Amino acid sequence: MHGTTIAVGQPVGASLREQARVLRDQFTRAGTLVVNLVSSPGAGKTSLLEATARHWAGRYRIAVLVGDLATERDAERLAPFVPVRQLTTGGACHLELPLVLRGLDELGRPPLDFLFIENIGNLVCPAAHDLGEHLRVVLLSTTEGDDKPGKYPKMFRTSQILVLSKADLLPYVPFSIDRAVEDARLIQPALRTVSVAARQGTGIEDWCRLLVDERDALLEANP
Amino acid sequence: MHETSLVLSLLRQAATILQSHRGAAVEQIRVEIGPLSGVEPLLVASAFDRLVEDSDCRGANLVIEEVSLDARCESCSREFVIERFRFVCPNCSSRSVRVVRGEEFRLLDLVIREHESAVGTSGEC
Repeated sequence: MHGTTIAVGQPVGASLREQARVLRDQFTRAGTLVVNLVSSPGAGKTSLLEATARHWAGRYRIAVLVGDLATERDAERLAPFVPVRQLTTGGACHLELPLVLRGLDELGRPPLDFLFIENIGNLVCPAAHDLGEHLRVVLLSTTEGDDKPGKYPKMFRTSQILVLSKADLLPYVPFSIDRAVEDARLIQPALRTVSVAARQGTGIEDWCRLLVDERDALLEANP
Repeated sequence: MHETSLVLSLLRQAATILQSHRGAAVEQIRVEIGPLSGVEPLLVASAFDRLVEDSDCRGANLVIEEVSLDARCESCSREFVIERFRFVCPNCSSRSVRVVRGEEFRLLDLVIREHESAVGTSGEC
């Protein structure tokens, strides 16, 4: 009797990651840009999605999957503007691929230009889970403090776009956009940034243009 | 909560590998945890203790190798350890830094013990 060592050298959750890669490739081929929105609770993800849907007003084919532990509130808010399904996790603090796949089936897998996944409000756990997205967008609102990016290294490291939300509150809070961006870029120098005030519509055009540019780049790279 | 789902993935991964060694039992599971892995070693260890006995890996021991966040500067090729999550080269201050280790929670290897009754029938010892 002896112990035999079997070398593995795989990330934990490798098979789920592979499934996420496969899903991403499928969406790439279908011309759908998949966006994973992350933030703390209340930073403005749903408001941003509402403003996006209203701005485009049907110009693009979009759908939303929104994740929460409980309630269908976000889906109800968005339903007048965009096809949406609520993903209810029960206790889980982050979305995982199987639940996203189920939501896609419920949507009926229509052809889309953009698929938005609104993650659970949480800057910690969602960072480690690939949902098949092309773009990870992290929202940081002006009421959260400009010293936060450094506290959530994995989330900011794995994101490509930083949306500074609730910009209309800047006169009332000790938040410096420059400090927040500098802090975030120490972790992820490639972060692109945009400031928005979703309820006023400020910055929404820039944000939407960024999304269109990202999708164009994806389509160009994958003819 | 978060470590729970990843430890369940780990145990499933180990059990799948075990399937190609019929009759074997897992003695040890060795993992690597880096600073950007998104998991905390102590919480992984306690989740493992809680979950292993109900799994196909019951009786196995967990060994955690904690590694540093190692990077390589793409501008001057300096290799260094990233301190305090500042992704800046200490040599030339470039922000073009590539992480080479420390972003993952990895399953490194398994030590398995072949079951006694397998000896003789397969010709292996």
